[in-house]
Amino acid sequence: MNETAIQAQGLWKTFQSGWWRRRHQPVLRDLQLAIPSGTIFGILGPNGAGKTTLISILATLLLPDAGTVYVLGLDVRRQAGRIRKRINLASGAAKFVWSLTVEENLRFYGRLYGLGGRPLAARVEEMVSLFDLQEYRRSPFETLSSGLKQRLALAKALISRPELLFLDEPTNGLDPLAAQHTREEILRLNRQTGVTIILTTHNLREAEQLCQAVGFLGEGRIQAQGSIRTLQQQLGLGDRLCLEFTGTMPPLDYQQLPGVLRCRRNESHLDLILDHSASRLPQLIRQINAAGGTISAIRVQEVDLEVLYREFSR
Amino acid sequence: MNLAAEAVKIWAFAARGGVMNRRNVFAVFEMLFWPLVGLFSVGLLTRFLELGTETVSFVLIGAVAMNTVQIAQLDVSYALLYDVWAKSLKHGFIAPIRLSHVILGSGLVGLCRGLAVFLIMVALSIRTFGMDLGRPGWSGLAVFFLGLFLVAVIEGILVLALVLLFGHRAEITAWAISYLVLLLSGLYYPVTLLPESLQAVARLIPLTYFMEYFRAFYGFPLSAADPLTLGFLLSLAYLSAGYGLISLSLHRARQRGTLLKLSE
Repeated sequence: MNETAIQAQGLWKTFQSGWWRRRHQPVLRDLQLAIPSGTIFGILGPNGAGKTTLISILATLLLPDAGTVYVLGLDVRRQAGRIRKRINLASGAAKFVWSLTVEENLRFYGRLYGLGGRPLAARVEEMVSLFDLQEYRRSPFETLSSGLKQRLALAKALISRPELLFLDEPTNGLDPLAAQHTREEILRLNRQTGVTIILTTHNLREAEQLCQAVGFLGEGRIQAQGSIRTLQQQLGLGDRLCLEFTGTMPPLDYQQLPGVLRCRRNESHLDLILDHSASRLPQLIRQINAAGGTISAIRVQEVDLEVLYREFSR
Repeated sequence: MNLAAEAVKIWAFAARGGVMNRRNVFAVFEMLFWPLVGLFSVGLLTRFLELGTETVSFVLIGAVAMNTVQIAQLDVSYALLYDVWAKSLKHGFIAPIRLSHVILGSGLVGLCRGLAVFLIMVALSIRTFGMDLGRPGWSGLAVFFLGLFLVAVIEGILVLALVLLFGHRAEITAWAISYLVLLLSGLYYPVTLLPESLQAVARLIPLTYFMEYFRAFYGFPLSAADPLTLGFLLSLAYLSAGYGLISLSLHRARQRGTLLKLSE
């Protein structure tokens, strides 16, 4: 396996529309990207940042206007056919032919990768049980719930045993439980099979849970790349925690408490920026209580991707 | 090249088309209702006009051709239209397939459904309207069907190319194209009745020659010495050009993002 799954340099893509008056909409501008094999890499950015465009170019569904792109060491322009044998894709809000059952859809997509006869039957069986679809194997796609459709989409994406898997907003439209289940599946896949996973999301928490590294896409370029924690710390950005006190605030060195990136305070109001509010909050409250403080109100505002995006765009 | 894997990829489209047809009530309408309405309305009209046996056969050949071509062409077109309607087009084209897999697989379904309609229509033409099948014989009938099938595949490829180029706006061509081609190639009349400019167009359509070939068994004149050779040569030329066109359309769809626009 190559050490670099994706290598893109000077990547440009502009969409054109209109017959009479041509409109040009630049989406990717001189984008550079390198993703190592075997990792889960997140492409983050607000809506309209070009995440789907980028992933579609990497998945050979869209041709770039300029630049060089290598996927698994192969050129997306000249060796697309060879790339397609080794990749697959699943997207959120998955859609397949409505009246085909779970099994028929899996068989159809398996055959497109040249699987037939017993190997196909065995692989379909494997996918059906891996994604807990036994009960729904004869259910037409149109009758499945969003969560089941998403499981089928992941099963379809894995039927070909890809070395590189693209997940375009894989938890989009799922309820929190189904979304969490999908995330766990993605992590398990990466750990068990070593498949490289590239996912797009606008959910920072999801990226944090899944991705070893992320790239922030903005203004057509990767604005920053690294682990979310590192990037947050670099910028001093995090979840905002506002605490109101009854009486005097205990005299602690709040800036030095674990996970605190920034701190602002007045007599009865404490404003902290934490790297991760959910995991830090219980310990923080225990320390404040131990120091004799009485908290009357807590307000948590999770870090907003838009804020991160704006910071990186500066 | 792994031939077994290639065959499996072709079979993927054939099997899917088969399942879709089996599940879809509309497919029964396509195969039986409309063709029978067409055949009986035209057949009864020939009775009302008290036409001779040869002229009745001339008209019925048009009706048989129309329904056979229409059905077989629709099956080729459905290969991508199912994905366009389901918004799942990108999942097909991210797989290592070629357009030849799509066309051959869906063509197989078109061949089966087209043949079924052809045989039903011919049987009804003989039984109900006294068409004399003894004149062309089984070989004449087989060659005629092959010609019709090739025309259907060419039309289906054109529809697929237009859908890849223009998306949903081109869907209507799936139902319109056969009628337009049949209108120009002498559906119920000799092409000599068309305006001269359209006669020139008719001469470029292989279906014109296939119908002329079959109608010649009933005593109608030929416009070319060897209509079959001309029909098959034109068909081969259009099949090659059609494959080139659809390949270009797919390339253009990958440039312009049409595959994404036609997906979720």
